[in-house]
Amino acid sequence: MSKLKGKVAFIGIGEVPTGRFPETAAIYHAIESAKLAIRDAGINKDEIDYVLPCAALFSPQFNTELVTCRIVEELGLKNVKKNCQIFAGGSSSTCATDIAASLINSGSASTILFVHADRLGTGVSLQGGIDLFSTAGISSEWEVPYGQHYSSIAALSTMRYKHETGCTDEQLAAVCVSNRKWAELNPNAFFRKPLTLEEVMASKMLSTPLRAKMSNMLFDGGCAFIITSAERARAVTQKPVYLLGEGGVVTHFVFSQEPDVSRFGWARAGKAAFEMAGLKPQDMDIAEIYDSYPIYQMIGFEELGFAKRGEGGEMFLKGDTWPGGKMPTTTNGGMLSQGHTGAGGACALIVETVRQLMGKAGDRQVKDAKFAVETAVGGTYMDAQVTILGTEIP
Amino acid sequence: MDTPVKPKPVPVVNPWAKPFWDAAREDKLVIQHCKDCGSNIFYPRIACPNCFSDNVEWIQASGKATVYTYTVVESNPPSAFIVDLPYVVAVVKLAEGVQMLSNIVGCKPEDVRCDMPVEVVFETLNEEFKLPKFRPVSKPL
Repeated sequence: MSKLKGKVAFIGIGEVPTGRFPETAAIYHAIESAKLAIRDAGINKDEIDYVLPCAALFSPQFNTELVTCRIVEELGLKNVKKNCQIFAGGSSSTCATDIAASLINSGSASTILFVHADRLGTGVSLQGGIDLFSTAGISSEWEVPYGQHYSSIAALSTMRYKHETGCTDEQLAAVCVSNRKWAELNPNAFFRKPLTLEEVMASKMLSTPLRAKMSNMLFDGGCAFIITSAERARAVTQKPVYLLGEGGVVTHFVFSQEPDVSRFGWARAGKAAFEMAGLKPQDMDIAEIYDSYPIYQMIGFEELGFAKRGEGGEMFLKGDTWPGGKMPTTTNGGMLSQGHTGAGGACALIVETVRQLMGKAGDRQVKDAKFAVETAVGGTYMDAQVTILGTEIP
Repeated sequence: MDTPVKPKPVPVVNPWAKPFWDAAREDKLVIQHCKDCGSNIFYPRIACPNCFSDNVEWIQASGKATVYTYTVVESNPPSAFIVDLPYVVAVVKLAEGVQMLSNIVGCKPEDVRCDMPVEVVFETLNEEFKLPKFRPVSKPL
């Protein structure tokens, strides 16, 4: 088991609004997010000795700039010893957290800045986005020739899940409604108008049974976080957010090779993370569950133990997961409502987890939140990554 | 919509998978079989993913399968597939125990169900490729 429990903490977060900003260069989203994170941490920028930029998908040119230290130069960071890109698709931020924690705990790094920025909302067209995500991470030999793309992939999971559990389309639509309730309270979210079950159910069918309003949309955006040792964190902030547990399971590359497309590796990854933290799902004040489509939020929610299999839908429908509910879930509105910025979907989710635990979530603050679990997944749901954070070390 | 009709993507063939595509051109569905641990293997690998053995042979599959899961793509597909709407994408489980992605053809899209039995058919993609697809076993005429 990992020895990182309680050894490192998040001390700062930054985020720019998610949306369409055709006039704004992608580097702005990166630099502004990083600046906000440094200010939030209240540290001197030159304490940062390690920068982990996430990859951006919209432009190879921009991505190369991230690889070749543009963030360090733009921010004028003087003491950075390594700038090294971390990329695991949607799991990037979770993998970066684990790697950053290891680097700090080993003494290789002291203060690490992770930054994500992308421009998938205005950097590519709608059809361009569909085409990009009908090849990115999809096997060019075994799946691309059959018209596979991310909506069909989510639909394949949804169809099997419905077949095995009897989950209804309304229950899936309830995930979208639940996330929107939170997004209504999130100034950085793109979709903030109230959403009804009827609107979701009346939206255009994409790939059965998946409808347009059950699909994330791609946007521009960025966010950043700063991690340091628990000791240093206690010196610079009143409320360090400690890394308490992590678990991960990599299951496949080619989606059709996944033996269980309605479960994946969540149960195992969750068990490892909860064991490491010494906590149970019942101890969690918040569940920040990755949601690029409602099916994945439902599966993650259930497999982690927040509901029995097939019974999560009722909780989303009844409002248990809404603001004021007994299990606040995906409190930034997720990719379904805040918007999907590529790998940034889960970056935003981990930033939201930290924000809630720091008590900085404004109108959507979950009162006295102490422990939270966050999930992330990359590629075609190739892995299950679980992170548990808390304001104290149990 | 100003999207021009794009040509269909063709499989980008890994050299060790060539026997699969050669067989498909002759309407044969082949998979790998490990002579050391007995595993059936799809998609084709460089070595057995179960025991790492190089002692792997090609065997002809029965072509019988069941639909593990499926979806009818009704809108917003990749550009090259706009002309095919609606089409069925499915994960099928072969009688030999391996899974593959394919399309279900030879029936109305709305008649496809999870766990329904299907059998392989081969559809010509171009001069070089035939794609294995699947149709219901009791094919409605």
